Amino acid sequence: MEFLSYIIANFKEIISLLIEHIELTFLSVFLAIIIGVPIGILICYVKKLAKPVLAFSNVMQAIPSMALLGFTIPFLGIGSTPAILMVVLYSLLPIIKNTYIGIEGINLQTIEAAQGIGLTKWQILTKVQIPLALPVIMAGIRISAVSAVGLMTLAAFCGAGGLGYLVYAGIRSINNFQILSGAIPACLLALFIDYLLGIVEDLTTPKYAKKEKKSNLGRKIILIICGIIIFFFFLLSLFPKESSSRQITIGSMDFTEQEILSYMIKDLIENRTDISVNQKLSLGSSSIVLNAIKQNDIDMYVDYTGTIYGSVLKKDPNSNVEEVYNISKSQMKELYDLNILADLNFNNTYTLAVTKNTALKYNLQTISDLKKVDQELRFSPTLVFMERNDCWIGLQRVYDMNFKEIIPIDGAPRYLALLNNDSDVIDAYSTDGLLMKYDLVVLEDDKDFFLPYQAVPVVNNKIISEYPEIEPLLKELSTFLNDSVMRELNYLVDEERISPELVAANFLKQKNLIN
Amino acid sequence: MISFKEVTKIFDNKKILDHISIDIEESAITCLIGESGCGKTTLLKMINRLIEPTSGTIMINNQNILKQDVIRLRRSIGYVIQQTGLFPHMSIKQNIELIPKLLKTPKEELEKKTLELMNMIGLDAKEYLNRYPSELSGGQQQRIGIARAFATDPDIILMDEPFSALDPITRVSLQDELLNIQSKHKKTIVFVTHDMDEAIKLADKIAILDEGHIVQYDTPEKILKYPVNDFVKNFVGPEKIWSSPELIKVKDIMIHHPITCRPNYSIFYCINKMRMMRVDTLMVVNEENELLGVLYAENLNNASHQNKLARDFILNDFFVVYPEDTLVDLLKNINIHKITTIPVVDKNNHLKGLITRSTLLTYMSKQFLRDGEE
Repeated sequence: MEFLSYIIANFKEIISLLIEHIELTFLSVFLAIIIGVPIGILICYVKKLAKPVLAFSNVMQAIPSMALLGFTIPFLGIGSTPAILMVVLYSLLPIIKNTYIGIEGINLQTIEAAQGIGLTKWQILTKVQIPLALPVIMAGIRISAVSAVGLMTLAAFCGAGGLGYLVYAGIRSINNFQILSGAIPACLLALFIDYLLGIVEDLTTPKYAKKEKKSNLGRKIILIICGIIIFFFFLLSLFPKESSSRQITIGSMDFTEQEILSYMIKDLIENRTDISVNQKLSLGSSSIVLNAIKQNDIDMYVDYTGTIYGSVLKKDPNSNVEEVYNISKSQMKELYDLNILADLNFNNTYTLAVTKNTALKYNLQTISDLKKVDQELRFSPTLVFMERNDCWIGLQRVYDMNFKEIIPIDGAPRYLALLNNDSDVIDAYSTDGLLMKYDLVVLEDDKDFFLPYQAVPVVNNKIISEYPEIEPLLKELSTFLNDSVMRELNYLVDEERISPELVAANFLKQKNLIN
Repeated sequence: MISFKEVTKIFDNKKILDHISIDIEESAITCLIGESGCGKTTLLKMINRLIEPTSGTIMINNQNILKQDVIRLRRSIGYVIQQTGLFPHMSIKQNIELIPKLLKTPKEELEKKTLELMNMIGLDAKEYLNRYPSELSGGQQQRIGIARAFATDPDIILMDEPFSALDPITRVSLQDELLNIQSKHKKTIVFVTHDMDEAIKLADKIAILDEGHIVQYDTPEKILKYPVNDFVKNFVGPEKIWSSPELIKVKDIMIHHPITCRPNYSIFYCINKMRMMRVDTLMVVNEENELLGVLYAENLNNASHQNKLARDFILNDFFVVYPEDTLVDLLKNINIHKITTIPVVDKNNHLKGLITRSTLLTYMSKQFLRDGEE
C-alpha cells in the first residue's frame, strides 16, 4: 500500500521519465535499424567486409556498457547523445548479424530462379531477399529493442533521464520504492516491447511458414494503435519542448543534497524571475558535472570548495576556509573561465562514521581513536574517497591509518554494509541525512585534516552577464541554510521518502522565499 | 533458333564445355541429357545468361545474346527449375504475375492471362490463386512453375530438370501435360534431364553430353537405333528401345530380300523354289518390283502337277504394311487380321520386304536373349 501511494504521489514524474525512456529507446533502435540493416545487406554483397564488420560489432557488444558510455562522454558531453550512441552501438550486432544470416540463409535456387526470370539485382533484394529474410531480421530487431530498454537505464548516468534515473536515485538514497518505481516500469516496458515486436515478427512470417493460422486482425489492431502512440511520442521528441528565450540549465551531482539544491534554485529562479530553468539531475560525480559546464551543457551547478581545491586544482590539503575559497575562485576563473559565487553557508565536508555499537565497543570519538583499532576494522569508502589526495590518501598519511580490509562501495549502499555488519567504518558527508536516519556516530577530525567543503554555486559567464538577477537570489537563499538545515532536509528525502522536489518547495514556502 | 557456336566454358581451370556448337530447333522440344557434371545445365543456363561463356557466341534468331540487355533477354525467356523455383513468400497469383506486373501489363489483361494460364495447366484458379506454394503438392507447384514460365508468352522456355523431384506417377502426368501444352503452343523448349525415358518421351531432338562435348545430337529414334558409340549405347541402356515400341519400325524388323516370283512362272517352278528356300509364301512381283500378290504354299497342294502359272493362284486380297509403320501398328494388324505373313511395300506398291511370324519372334526374343547373356 505504501508503495502504491508512493507511485500515486510521484505518478507524474514516473510517467514523464517513462515517456523519456520510450523516446530514447525508440530513437536508438530506430537509428540502429537504419544503420544495421543496410550494413547487413552490404556485407552479403561484399563478402570481404562480412568478417571485419561482424567482428567489430561483436567487440562493441563485449565492451561493458558503462565503459562505452564513459568513452563517449568526453567527446559528446552529457545528455541524450552519448546514451543514444551507446545503445545504438550495442543494438547493431543482433540487427547486422540477423540481416546477414537471414539473407545468406535463403535457398540459392530461389535466388537463381529470381535471376533467371529476369529480376534486376534491386528487385531481387526488395522483392525476394528482404521479404524472405524479414522474420529473421525482425527477430534481431526484437532482441535489440528489448536489450535497449534495459541499457537505456544507464542513460541516467549521463543526464539523459529515463527510468534509470529513478533506479539510481533510489539506490543512492536507499529508497526501495523509488528503485521499484523505475525498475518495474522498465521491466514492463521491456516485456511490452517484446510482446509488440513478437507480433510484428509473427506478422512478417509469411502464412506459408506458420503452423497454425490465427486471425491476425486483433493483433494488427494492437500493433497499429501502439504504432500510432509511439509515432506520436516520436514526433513530440522531434519538436523540442517550447523553450522560452530566457532559459538556463542547472546540473547536479548524484546525491540527495544536490537534488534538493537543484530544485530550490529552480523554484526560486522560476518563481522570482521570468527565467525558465531546465534541470539535469544526477549527472554523476563532480568531475562529470564540471565537464558538463565546461562543454556548456549546463550553465550552473553547486560544487564544494574542497572538491575544487583538492581534486580539480590538485592542491595539497588545506583547512583554512577562506584561503581555500579564494584560491578556488580565482583559479577556476583563470583556468576554466567559470565563476564561483558566494557560498551557500553550509559545509558538507567529509567525515568518518561508525555505528553506535562500534563506537561503544572501541570507545571511539575521534579519528585518532579509530587509528588505535584500525587493524580490527573494515572500511567501506566510496570510490571517489579512495582515489583523492584530500580524502583517503591524505587521511592515511596524516593519521597513519591502515584498515584490516578496504571494501569500496559507492553511494548509499555502504550504509547498508555498515548496518549489516559487512563493514565497520564508512566515509560520510557531514550533511548526509542518512547519518541521522541510521543514528551513526560521526568521528571528530581532531587533526583538522579534511578540507572545508563549502557549498558554492559554480556558474558560467552567461549567468553573470545575461541573468544578473540570479546571484542575489542565491545569496538570499544562503541566509536560510546551514549544516543542520541541510542534514534535516536530506533526512526528509532519505528517510521520510518525500521527494526532493517537494522538500525544496516546502522549505522555500516555509521561509517565504517563494509563494 | 538458338545456336551455339564454338562455346567453351572454363571454370576453376576446368573445362565444363568444350567448343560446343549446336543449333536448337524452333518450336520443338530439345532435351539435353547426360550424367551429372557433363555440362548440360551449364549449357542451358547460358541461354538466359545465368552463366556466360568463356569463349564462343550464342545467337537467338541470329542475334548475339551476349550483346543484349540481360534483364530484357531473361524476361523474354521462360525459366522452370526443380522444386524451389517458386517464391515461397508470394501467393500463386503473385508468383505468376511477377514479371508481367514489372512489365506494366494492364490489369485486365493480367487477370485474363492468369486465368488462361491456370486453365492451361489444369488447376482451378479460384481454389489455387491465393494459396502459397507450400500449400500445394510438388506436382501442382511444378505446374505453377510452368504457368509462370508461360506468363510473358515467351518463344523460348528453359526447363532445368523440372520433374526430377516428383514421384513417378506425377512425373508421367506432367510429362503428358507438357506434351499437350506443347502441341498447342509450339514453344522452343530446351529441357535438361538425366532420365533417358523422359527425354525419349518428350524430345523432338536429344543432345547427349559427356564431359563438355556433345556426343550425339539426333532424334530419339536415331539415338536408340544408331548410337554413335559405346558411351551412347551404354547411356541409352541395352535394348532401351523396347520401352518405346512405337519407335521400332517395320523396316527394322522386316526381311529385306523376300523370295519372289513372277506371275508368268509355272507353279511347278514356284513350288520347287519354296522347297529350296524353305519358305511357304512367295511374293509375286512384276519387272518393276511392284507387288502383285502373294502365293501361299497351302493353296498349291495338288497343283504341282498342273501346268498352271503363278498368276492363277495369286491371292489378290492381301494385307500390306509400310516400312515406316511401327511395331505397335504391326502387332495390332496381325491381331485383327489373323495373318502371319505380311509384305512390306512403299507408297508406290514396290516390294520392300516381308514380315513373318518367325521374323517377329526372332526380333522380339532378342531383348531377352541379350539380357540372358549378360
